[in-house]
Amino acid sequence: MNVGRGVLRFEDDKLLKGRGVFTDDLHLSGLVHLGFVRSPHAHARLRAIRTDRAKALPGVLAVFTGRDLESLCKPIRVEILFPNYKAPARPVVAVDAVKFVGDAVAVVVAESRYVAEDAADLVEVDYEPLPAVVDVEAALNASAPLAHPELGDNVFFKGEFTAGDVEGAFASADLVLEETFRSARVAGVPLEPRGCVAALDPGRGTLTFWSSTQIPHMLRTALADLVVVPGLSESRIRVITPEVGGGFGTKAHVYPEEVVTAALAFKLGRPVKWVQDRREELLTDIHARDHVYEVQAAVTREGVLKGVRVRILTNAGAFPSYPFGCTLEPTGGARMLPGPYRIRDYAYECYAITTNTCPAGAYRGVAQPTAFMAIEGMMDRIGRALGIDPAEVRLRNLIGPEEMPYVNVVGVRYDTGSYIASLRRALELSRYDDVRARQPSTRLEDGKYRGIGICCFTEVSGTGAPGFRARGLTRVPGFDSALLKVEPTGTVTCVLSTAGAGQGHETTFSQLIADELGVPMKDVTVLEGDTLGGPYGSGTFASRSVVTGGGAIVRAAARLREKIARIAGHLLEAAPADIVLEAGHAFVRGMPSRRVTVRAIAENAYSMTAKGLPEGEGYGLETTDYYDPPLVTMANATHVVAVAVDARTGRIEIERYVVVHDCGRVINPMIVEGQVHGGTAQGIGEAVLEAIVYGEDGQCQTATLMDYLLPTTMDVPSMIVDHIESPSIDAAGGFKGVGEGGVIGAVPAVTNAVADALAGLGVNVNRIPLTPDRVLALIERGASRAGA
Amino acid sequence: MREPMAQKVPIRITVNDVVHARGVEPRLLLADFLRHELELTGTHVGCEHGVCGACTVLVDGATARSCLTFAAQLDGARVTTVEGLVRDGEPQPIQDAFHEHHALQCGYCTPGFLVTVYELLAENPAPTEREVREALAGNLCRCTGYVNIVKAVLDAAGRLRAAGLRPAIR
Repeated sequence: MNVGRGVLRFEDDKLLKGRGVFTDDLHLSGLVHLGFVRSPHAHARLRAIRTDRAKALPGVLAVFTGRDLESLCKPIRVEILFPNYKAPARPVVAVDAVKFVGDAVAVVVAESRYVAEDAADLVEVDYEPLPAVVDVEAALNASAPLAHPELGDNVFFKGEFTAGDVEGAFASADLVLEETFRSARVAGVPLEPRGCVAALDPGRGTLTFWSSTQIPHMLRTALADLVVVPGLSESRIRVITPEVGGGFGTKAHVYPEEVVTAALAFKLGRPVKWVQDRREELLTDIHARDHVYEVQAAVTREGVLKGVRVRILTNAGAFPSYPFGCTLEPTGGARMLPGPYRIRDYAYECYAITTNTCPAGAYRGVAQPTAFMAIEGMMDRIGRALGIDPAEVRLRNLIGPEEMPYVNVVGVRYDTGSYIASLRRALELSRYDDVRARQPSTRLEDGKYRGIGICCFTEVSGTGAPGFRARGLTRVPGFDSALLKVEPTGTVTCVLSTAGAGQGHETTFSQLIADELGVPMKDVTVLEGDTLGGPYGSGTFASRSVVTGGGAIVRAAARLREKIARIAGHLLEAAPADIVLEAGHAFVRGMPSRRVTVRAIAENAYSMTAKGLPEGEGYGLETTDYYDPPLVTMANATHVVAVAVDARTGRIEIERYVVVHDCGRVINPMIVEGQVHGGTAQGIGEAVLEAIVYGEDGQCQTATLMDYLLPTTMDVPSMIVDHIESPSIDAAGGFKGVGEGGVIGAVPAVTNAVADALAGLGVNVNRIPLTPDRVLALIERGASRAGA
Repeated sequence: MREPMAQKVPIRITVNDVVHARGVEPRLLLADFLRHELELTGTHVGCEHGVCGACTVLVDGATARSCLTFAAQLDGARVTTVEGLVRDGEPQPIQDAFHEHHALQCGYCTPGFLVTVYELLAENPAPTEREVREALAGNLCRCTGYVNIVKAVLDAAGRLRAAGLRPAIR
């Protein structure tokens, strides 16, 4: 068996030798390069654009303004099936007004990227600055400037929901707690910036489009819809993903630059490349978080949570992003907040607010890090208010194994899970009781405040069509697909609709396919990220690939095994039901010597032998299958983290980190742990370092990696990672996703640990990131209160 | 209108043991020279402002950010990129350790890490975990959380010591 083993990755060799081919590594003859002119204003009317000096620069082929591109590219419109939704279409390059710093106003085409950037500096734009709205809370004030005056207010979307007896729960509560939690705006920052290359075959009228994307099929559909060229159809577009250097959701969107690059390949008749620089990534790739959660909790004196009300504001930025729009974060936060807890009386109100900032989108974890910061923050507050240990508060509220499967208050079914078991195991591995027993009430020892924080959470993974429809989305199919075939020589090829960006899909899926078909792993080739070779599907994002791609493989393999068994039965003169597949052979059950190789079976299927096929059997040995998982496939985990806060510097040091996670049936534990490590590091960054900062004028103050701080080796500790496997009973194959859990757990766990460390000071920790200046301010506030 | 950049500077540069005599624009970055003129695309560009470390190469045996270095500065220099760290058939304990410890995911930052680790282990064959972390603090990875990278480097150091080897810097 290969499933369950930490098989070393097939992907590594080329990457360790510098032979991986990423988008910017593509060299095509006659290639031209794009450089975008970007707005320095958050909100301004475009009065005039002068391009003559740019066009005169040697090496410049053309300069296009938004007006010039209107006939070539349709604006990007995001349809959302909710009544309380309104949003403008986004021109691929601004036409009348710019809406955020970094919004494109013109694009230069030149013989080299150096010249393209020189020429972009020579484009003269006459801006008439307009009032900008930036802050998500201020945007709701009646006097706030409007990001899109034609909408009448700054609300793209409002959602509301009530279930159970919320009023009754609050009326009968022993204790009502209220808190407001705020998360900073963050960026995905994959190490490989985004880019794309478009090449036209003028004779055939076909377009080959390489992009650093996570959604090749959805991108192809969008290009077909948005690029206006006579004769161009989706059938004539092929999207290929080369090696993709990380994505984390930022590359699971269709961006204006992709549409422009494709259109200009037609316009110019030469291959076109665009590769962004880091400044463009930080200014214009989707941002995330920037949420406010106003939570009220009705609690019994035993610490049992009876009812929850929450009002959620999310900053959608200047435009909805394609294809996820602006409803993913508000509805996601609201729907995911109940998490692993037994909450039956629940009401929410959630908003997507437009501002003159970069569009927000689906970054690893989506709404969950802030949603769990809120509910896990309330668990700790319940403990502090009632004098109950925070671990015990959680144990009193977690859904127990005897209650599974459990349908939560918003209608999401948790089929299996280990909410209590994962908490107990994490407490044990972190020696939680010892830490608590030794902890002084001041939390202060040798100049450091020490605290320990917990996060118990569910992780939405493998979202299927009903899950996306519940969030109002129509352009995200939900399913994924696998084309699985045995070639005439007996090797196995699998083409998937998923598109990895470093997750090790080739290895993981090879392990699964080898087991499903009883062939050696070396005979399996997994291909993805090419729309020509395989069937349609959603792509890779939101912890979905092992659920959806794995499910598609399981289904396709079952059908293929049936055909293999029929042909093998015909060759071995046995009933197909008696055929066993193992180690590249088919044999008759109980008679291993009566066997035939998979190659011999394939030769029959492809009509290369005298024996031929059984009566009525069709040629070929391949099948395509699709898998659309249930609403969502719910994974879970617990993080426990011990921190030391330097009383003098405010710097947070992580002293111990424990993760006990449960993603159902594990194919490759090594790769799963890698996902947990990486996600946790991103969550630590989000909790203590990372923030995209806009000034009041809407200027982005964090457009370099000197200003937007990522965690380094000095910030991320070693971790203890333990697995519990509760295989899904709803999803094919029993798999649950794991990609986002790390970040979801780390943000609340670290925040709670810092709050615990500072608990002796009586200060309130309700806002991230906990940068040294903020932490010092909290410590000083606590000290002055103690002195007063 | 700014000055045309036509004036090229002649350089003679040794990259991975191969001598190249070229004329380069004064402003051509070493990273772009390696990637687009020599087609050595293993060196990756992550930020173009010297923070992320993905573009790290060895210049005369010491690490340098090829996104902050002009090719024209390097007349007479010896440059080693990720492609030059190992040759087919030779042992590659650092790369093997990265593979066996799952110390890479997307692989985009990996060349910069490997080059930095070569320098570290050439100078300090028995680093502590703290020393490994400090040596790698100038290289960003967004996928791995560094957990397995640190393990791989400590293991690679042990393998090199056991074999009586030091990383060869060309």
